[in-house]
Amino acid sequence: MYRYDEFDHTFVNDRVAQFRDQVERRLAGDLAEDAFRPLRLMNGVYLQLHAYMLRVAIPYGTLNATQMRMLAHIARKYDRGYGHFTTRQNIQYNWPKLADTPDILADLASVEMHAIQTSGNCIRNVTADHFAGAAADEAADPRPYAEILRQWSSVHPEFTFLPRKFKIAVTGAKDDRAAIQVHDIGLHLKKNDKGELGFDVYVGGGQGRTPMIGKKIREFLPEEDLLSYTTAIMRVYNLYGRRDNKYKARIKILVHETGVEKLAAEIEAEFNELKNSELKLPDADIQAITSYFAPPDLLPRAEGWANLASWKKADPDFARWVDQNVKPHKHPDYGMVTISLKPIGGIPGDATDEQMELVADLAEEYAFDEIRISHEQNIIFPHVALADLEPLYRALKPANLATANSNLITDIIACPGLDYCALANARSIPVAQEISERFGSPERQAEIGELKIKISGCINACGHHHVGHIGLLGVEKKGAELYQITLGGSADNETSIGDIIGRGFEPEKVTDAIETVVDTYLGLRLSPQETFLEAYRRVGQQPFKTALYGGAAAEAA
Amino acid sequence: MTKIWNESGFQNQDPWVIETEETKAGSNEKPILPLNIFLEKAQAGETGLGVLIQPADDVKALAPHLEKIALAAVSFPAFSDGRAFSHASLLRERLGFKGEIRAVGDVLIDPLPLMLRVGITSFAVTNPVAIKRLEEGRLPGIDNHYQPTARKSEDPKSYSWRRVS
Amino acid sequence: MSTSQVLTANRLTDGIAVWYDKAGNWNEWIGRSEVVHTKDDAERLEAIGKKAYANNEVLDVNLVEVEEIEGQIRPRRLRERIRAEGPTIEYMI
Repeated sequence: MYRYDEFDHTFVNDRVAQFRDQVERRLAGDLAEDAFRPLRLMNGVYLQLHAYMLRVAIPYGTLNATQMRMLAHIARKYDRGYGHFTTRQNIQYNWPKLADTPDILADLASVEMHAIQTSGNCIRNVTADHFAGAAADEAADPRPYAEILRQWSSVHPEFTFLPRKFKIAVTGAKDDRAAIQVHDIGLHLKKNDKGELGFDVYVGGGQGRTPMIGKKIREFLPEEDLLSYTTAIMRVYNLYGRRDNKYKARIKILVHETGVEKLAAEIEAEFNELKNSELKLPDADIQAITSYFAPPDLLPRAEGWANLASWKKADPDFARWVDQNVKPHKHPDYGMVTISLKPIGGIPGDATDEQMELVADLAEEYAFDEIRISHEQNIIFPHVALADLEPLYRALKPANLATANSNLITDIIACPGLDYCALANARSIPVAQEISERFGSPERQAEIGELKIKISGCINACGHHHVGHIGLLGVEKKGAELYQITLGGSADNETSIGDIIGRGFEPEKVTDAIETVVDTYLGLRLSPQETFLEAYRRVGQQPFKTALYGGAAAEAA
Repeated sequence: MTKIWNESGFQNQDPWVIETEETKAGSNEKPILPLNIFLEKAQAGETGLGVLIQPADDVKALAPHLEKIALAAVSFPAFSDGRAFSHASLLRERLGFKGEIRAVGDVLIDPLPLMLRVGITSFAVTNPVAIKRLEEGRLPGIDNHYQPTARKSEDPKSYSWRRVS
Repeated sequence: MSTSQVLTANRLTDGIAVWYDKAGNWNEWIGRSEVVHTKDDAERLEAIGKKAYANNEVLDVNLVEVEEIEGQIRPRRLRERIRAEGPTIEYMI
């Protein structure tokens, strides 16, 4: 993974000093809240319902054991002993004191981490496929480019006061696991026939109030043009994105209102002026950054095969965990492990400082010191020898980190919701907990198969509900919580926004409604091999609508 | 009250006044004109003009008239409106304007180092905290940069996108 | 005006939700809040809030509606109840 050089260390330390000065001025009353607010946001400090919240960047979801230990230390020293991993591969702390935040940032800087631009109307954390560098279907590792974009976008003076936040995601695999089509810019790294690397560029995807799927505006942008082309997009957005209405200020609205061809032409025109500027990426620089992401030295561990077979035979729980949470690696003796942060009835995406410490230790012992955070709020060890799966599992189990539910119905994505978030209209965590409990039995989960439930506590869609196979949107109606169900959303290669099925459900009725949806699916699927999403795409919403709302809904159709 | 600052310090004899319906430039003052009026005068051959670029203006309209501009002002009606950063960048890098670019409007101390980097060279400052910090000569910027900008800075002999002040 | 209201905000230093109490302090517990029932009193509280904001003591100052039930102060809105009582879920064990 990337390691800071002296330039990076100086930068991040200067940034901490800058913020420390701003906080001191704020606490002394020399800096008013209006002027301070964008500054603190650009250092990840939010104000939430109960307290401040600090969002720490985990660049493209990659970190090592030393960094994970620091995250644990921060949870312990400055917070209440836990952190929340988010749908943008970051971590959030819910109880920091403003006066402590400069010290927290200094601690982070000591391990090459920061909270720069994790909020505010600027370019946010660039996210990437959590299986990057390990997945068999990858053309190339997208993370070097995510790192180049991360550096280039850091305190970019022209793009520090955008109309609104800006989110970029990169993937390098055939199957998009980074949800690039619901990002402001989505980059699909590919190889052409000559073996050269380039990007298909998507623009204007996003969720929230007006979910939209990104439009491909550029086919195979050569890698050397990455910064010039991105600059062109950003400049056009900065100049023409709406600033009159917060809810219409993302680039997706600009694409929609301008028309994709016209906007693409404007971007292309700007790009042509920048193409041969100092923004062109020299091959040597790309190679230098790429070299940081060289895969670990994976020695043959063929004994893993036989061991695994016998371990699975001896322990069905272990077998279930391997089958569900371990995906094939490029190297046949290795696997990509998902460490679930969704224990049955637990808080999705949360981890205690003790769990973080354990993950750090295990990463060093079994995973070549490489950890990822997925946008599905789980921890990933991308490189684990099959021969080490059993001892790893044994170590994870007592810490409640071995739930065998990756991609199953209890692997729920949920935003913090009204329990924490000042923007929320309804709670998401208790809803997730109840659904998880109802469907917690391993047999039931296995029967249902792959089913992604995503829950957002408000229209901002931080829980990504629009792209859930089943999405739940919490709203406030007459002072009470109500949950709208959407079906058939997906963030895969055929990205789709879920269909709103009908009127919402009260909190006490939601889990039953989910059960109705699941039973309907089980009743109409062609075989256990037909997943929920496949079945939905085959039959559409009607059978589910009828099951949930009765025959009247069928007649009204 | 508004003071004019550049990297040589506060300027006491600044003659420029933003012309509005209510305010016109006096006898010892020079008007900073709205874009449409500037274009009329420039097309008529006048020189030594001041022009104000509002956020929604097209700064490229200045291209045929650069030598007639004595002062280009870029407006920040609210500090959060970042369009002027692009205007200044284009004015310097695309149009090649070498004259004075002034930030007017909601000019605060924390964004000021960013304004310098995009090629803005003078600042109409009203905010008392900003004035105080400028009097003390304490700008809150960071010297290491991760992107080339309109204002050229040093090459730290590192990756192509890095610069240093 | 027939509603009861209290003044709430978040403390600048640590962001903790606080309520303006009968002793004139910003209190972490809603139970001691000064409850107002008239428009004049509400305006008085609002002025206190504005002053505290300008004085950099608190952020996000608001009057919120409450009910007084058997001596307990209960916010009408769920959001404010959660703010007063804390997250409705248990922390990680």
